[in-house]
Amino acid sequence: MPTRLPLLICLVSGVVMFLQYFSRHPVAKLIYQTVTNDWWQVIFAFTLIVGVAGFIKITLRKISQKKDRTYALIALGGLLLMPILALIGGTNIESPFQWAFENLLAPMQATVFSLLAFFVASASFRGFRARSIPAAILLGTALLVLVGRLPIAEHISEYIPDLTFWIKNYPSMAARRAILIGIGLGSMTTALRVILGIERTYLSGK
Amino acid sequence: MSKDKIRWIIFAGLFLFVTLAYTIDIKMVSSPSYEVQKSFDYIESLPEGTILMISFDHEASSLPEVQPISLVMIRHAFRNNLKIVGLSLFAEGTAIGYRTLNKIAAEYDKQYGVDYVFLGFKPQHIAAILGMGESIYDVFPRDYLGNQTDTIPIMIGVVNYDNIEMVISITDGDRAVQWIEYAGPRYDQKVMTGLTAAMITSYDPYLSSGQLFSVVGGLKGAAEYENLYGEVGKGNRGMPAQTVAHLYLIVMIIIGNIIYFRNRKRQGRSS
Repeated sequence: MPTRLPLLICLVSGVVMFLQYFSRHPVAKLIYQTVTNDWWQVIFAFTLIVGVAGFIKITLRKISQKKDRTYALIALGGLLLMPILALIGGTNIESPFQWAFENLLAPMQATVFSLLAFFVASASFRGFRARSIPAAILLGTALLVLVGRLPIAEHISEYIPDLTFWIKNYPSMAARRAILIGIGLGSMTTALRVILGIERTYLSGK
Repeated sequence: MSKDKIRWIIFAGLFLFVTLAYTIDIKMVSSPSYEVQKSFDYIESLPEGTILMISFDHEASSLPEVQPISLVMIRHAFRNNLKIVGLSLFAEGTAIGYRTLNKIAAEYDKQYGVDYVFLGFKPQHIAAILGMGESIYDVFPRDYLGNQTDTIPIMIGVVNYDNIEMVISITDGDRAVQWIEYAGPRYDQKVMTGLTAAMITSYDPYLSSGQLFSVVGGLKGAAEYENLYGEVGKGNRGMPAQTVAHLYLIVMIIIGNIIYFRNRKRQGRSS
């Protein structure tokens, strides 16, 4: 019984949502609207609670074990600060919550993202080497695409932008399409396995 | 030379060159790409009063790259008296979207609720995208400022995607993919995107199949759009720095490989 009920819910939900896609009947439309507007939001809220609870549990464990204690305390402080600010002053555009978002979170995110440029520069010097023929082909292609994205590319040679365009639209796209088709088929198979109850790892890990 | 010292030299070099490039006022003109030209021409061809939906689906971290795109596109839309319904399917894009729309609206003397509106953020983006295909009022019963959506002048009669000409997703990830996959086939909604350069290749198959109308990619895309629009903005101002950074990376790769082959040659001789 403990596993049968979730399996049944999964089966019914999956089949109903699959069938409603092909129907324009008002009942099908109502089911669809209720599920997309209400149920998904409720489920999302609960997953958020689970996520926050998990994060707090792990952080508290780190603090008690004195493992990266300072970072854990800052992380926990940040997690508590935002909802407190939201509860005190709301979340409108002039609220302390928005102030914290724009003046704390946004600059911190921008800083981390900006650091990428430095890491890429260092990695390009130390790691991007023509150690073999395939690596040399990859390196040459990457350099060509890199130059092709520059505004000065067409001034260096009129063929560079065309060549970059060709690489992007033929070999690169062929690989990308193959990956997308593979993902699509894999998603369909997994969805069918979950709906039919063959895939049960989400229940107990078995 | 130690590894740490080499790393510091590389970091300092990049910092120096990018800072210098920002201080030098150079205009780097390049021909617009096919997609940027297509995006510009389409917006240009729309009659006054047409409603565009702009979704700010990005984080604050990618602002320097994607904000020039949203700025120039909103300016273009307001100059042509198009109406904008703004929203965000990424929590962090909410305040950014609202502020960006208000800033440009003030430049063109546009009125909130009449010429543009900001619906705010909705979690569970797939549900929101699908839900708006049936009723925007149900997904966003109130706008960002708390007004009842179906009573806002611009929103009266704007029930679902049938009343929206195009969705423009400003994104730094794959959020536009969801717009393409869910709003496109089921509701026949036209989708365009402005995104970071690193993500462009992810969208190529959709572009090629026609599921995605067009794309304005990265700072270069923004600069090209600005040139078509006829105004130098953040895209053009950032191009020298980006060009210098790219050239710096190319030089680093070349130097790294020269050292690698020289060392390999020496090792070959000694063995």
